[in-house]
Amino acid sequence: MAETDRQKKKIGFPMVAHYNCVVQYFVEQGLGQEYILQPQMTRRTMELGAKLAPDMVCTPFKTTLGSMIEALEAGADTLIMSFGLCRLGYYGELAEQILREQGYEFDYVNLAEYTTGKYRDYFKALRRVCPKLNAVRAGKVGLDALKMVEYIDEIEDLYHQNCGFALDHKACRAAYLRFFADMKRAKSRQDIDAGYQKAREALETLPLNKPAHPLRVALIGEYFTVMDEFSNLDLEETIADMGVELHRWMNLSHRNLHYPGEKNLNASIRDLCTYEMGPTSTANIWYARTCAEAGYDGIIHVKSAGCTPEIDIMPVLQRVGQQYKVPTLYLTYDSQTATAGLQTRLEAFYDMIDMRRKVRA
Amino acid sequence: MADRRFPASDRNLKKATIGIPRALLYNRSRILWSTFFHELELKTIFSSPTNRQTQEKGSERAIDEMCLSVKIYLGHVQELIGKCDYILVPRIVSYGIRRTMCTTFEALPDIVRNIFWQESPHILTYNVDLEHSLPEEQALTRMGISLGFLPGQARRAAKRALAAQKKADERQAKETEQLYKESGLRVAVAAHSYVLEDDYIGKPVADYLKKMGVTVIRADQVDRKAALDISAKVSPTLKWELSREIVGSLWMHRSRLDGIILMSVYPCALDSMVNDMIVRKFEGSGIPILQLTMDAQSGTAGVETRLESFIDIIRMRETAQREQERQREQKKQDERDQKEQDKLAARQRKELERQEKDERKQAQRRRKDEEKREKEQAKRAARERKAGERAARGKKETPQGSGEEAH
Repeated sequence: MAETDRQKKKIGFPMVAHYNCVVQYFVEQGLGQEYILQPQMTRRTMELGAKLAPDMVCTPFKTTLGSMIEALEAGADTLIMSFGLCRLGYYGELAEQILREQGYEFDYVNLAEYTTGKYRDYFKALRRVCPKLNAVRAGKVGLDALKMVEYIDEIEDLYHQNCGFALDHKACRAAYLRFFADMKRAKSRQDIDAGYQKAREALETLPLNKPAHPLRVALIGEYFTVMDEFSNLDLEETIADMGVELHRWMNLSHRNLHYPGEKNLNASIRDLCTYEMGPTSTANIWYARTCAEAGYDGIIHVKSAGCTPEIDIMPVLQRVGQQYKVPTLYLTYDSQTATAGLQTRLEAFYDMIDMRRKVRA
Repeated sequence: MADRRFPASDRNLKKATIGIPRALLYNRSRILWSTFFHELELKTIFSSPTNRQTQEKGSERAIDEMCLSVKIYLGHVQELIGKCDYILVPRIVSYGIRRTMCTTFEALPDIVRNIFWQESPHILTYNVDLEHSLPEEQALTRMGISLGFLPGQARRAAKRALAAQKKADERQAKETEQLYKESGLRVAVAAHSYVLEDDYIGKPVADYLKKMGVTVIRADQVDRKAALDISAKVSPTLKWELSREIVGSLWMHRSRLDGIILMSVYPCALDSMVNDMIVRKFEGSGIPILQLTMDAQSGTAGVETRLESFIDIIRMRETAQREQERQREQKKQDERDQKEQDKLAARQRKELERQEKDERKQAQRRRKDEEKREKEQAKRAARERKAGERAARGKKETPQGSGEEAH
């Protein structure tokens, strides 16, 4: 790239689950700008956000705001914020207003401003981030980045379905973490593929002590909280480590890259819901029904406090639970949620589904 | 043409009774619905106004975390079950880009279906989703067709209903516009129509304000198009129709308001963000803002205290402002008086000066006159003396003198 380091923008993006390495790869390789990766989210992130954010807003806004501040502290001078179909669509503007009132100075690209009904208008946002955009290169790198998303989701699934049964739990975890370190360092498609192959091999060859029919739990819920391990307080790891095969459909590849479309998902749940009830509702109901039919031992529904679309599908999930006799645990996360209470509830849930299994057998 | 999601049309339904829950969009679409069904000669019944029981019954059936308005809505639906053939539960997604509704309105028919799945009431619905090119007229027409009416009949009813509702909205907006010109305390209540017009939540608040002698102005009754345009300037990515109307309305009339009450139900998804934005945007305007959150527990006493103190604050501010103004006026008056006096004094001084000058001039003139006179006297004296001398000489040599005279 012709731009020197001095001219490069330092781009920050709020933390979203494990996907920040994808943003980093795209920004650095595709747009030729610098990406500032803020530290992993901690309680401080939440406190920073909760202090400035309105009280009743859903929890992801608070963490997003906190991680934007941490990105600015880490040296970012340009922030990018996503658009969204629920309240997420208004996150960008309110966050900017709050940050500017606090006196932060930064360039801001709010994708929600580019919503016109045509997808190609989002390219205008790309041009603003990078005026000398090389469209061919950005497109090529973009495809690689999407591949990275798929790999991340695959490795996550693999890990959470097996980590509870690994004989050497530490090695399992290490392979998982090494994969993300590799993704963060990746400079080319070869690096991505190599990192993925290595992680897949490591996870698949680990000796497992897995019964033929392990307890299976499906994880559904709100887009952000269900994917982000800080926001759901390591829910997946905790429940998987109890010796459960954990299945989560909701991730970027399924919901965004390979989404079968609302109509096609809705076709098999027409008796439960006639219309789309929210941005991720159809998928969640469909997955709950699918897992219930497949005889899963339990369903865990995760959402942040006040997430309206997810609250609205709870009656449907309750009905699925009653019809198929699947125990369903509803978890709501707010900025106060602590691990101890969660641990107790998860243990009780595990004991219950374990006992049910034994009684049935 | 036919939406596969609609129940198969049944010609016998033409004599159906439609039950309409008196909650959520009822206040916004009352005329639309009643005109539509009236045009089709269908009987409509309404649930009774919200009371404590409605709310309690709804809360029993609802998910705990749902907002109070939805809980109340479910109470209304429950009341209608068994009393009618169909319950009208519309699904409104959006009126266009950045003109969406809260996702609950998108899910409402399915929420009702699933919460009452054991009673399984017949739900009548129409689906407005402009982003998927389903405008209101088409949605209503389809609903009419699903009830067994001919497309032409249904479309005519839909058109008339929409026109009637629009006319009513415009009239109401005009009436509200008049209130901004009233004298006295003008307080805008910014709340969704289903909160403000609810007999259990919002009405008591409005009534209490009126009892205190406040002009209560509904922010949601406004020229909608103008309000939407202005809201796009105030907050460009604000995308909820109901919030945009309120934000635009408040911003339009901000110079005419003495106070704003942001009233929302617990936990309202839209208001949680928009109210915060309103407070931030109005910070420089100097208008006092009260944020009032209504939940199922709130008895009237707590709310009344808060309203009273808020109105007191506005009144005190008003009084203080008036006092300030009075003082400023007084000061101005004083200054004016002072100036007047100064002017008078200056004039007097000038007068005096002129008089002095005159006197001085007169004195000068007098002195000059005297000098003249003295000079003349001196001259005369000199002449007399000369004459005397001549006379003396003449006595000595008279002939000479007479000779000279003769000469």
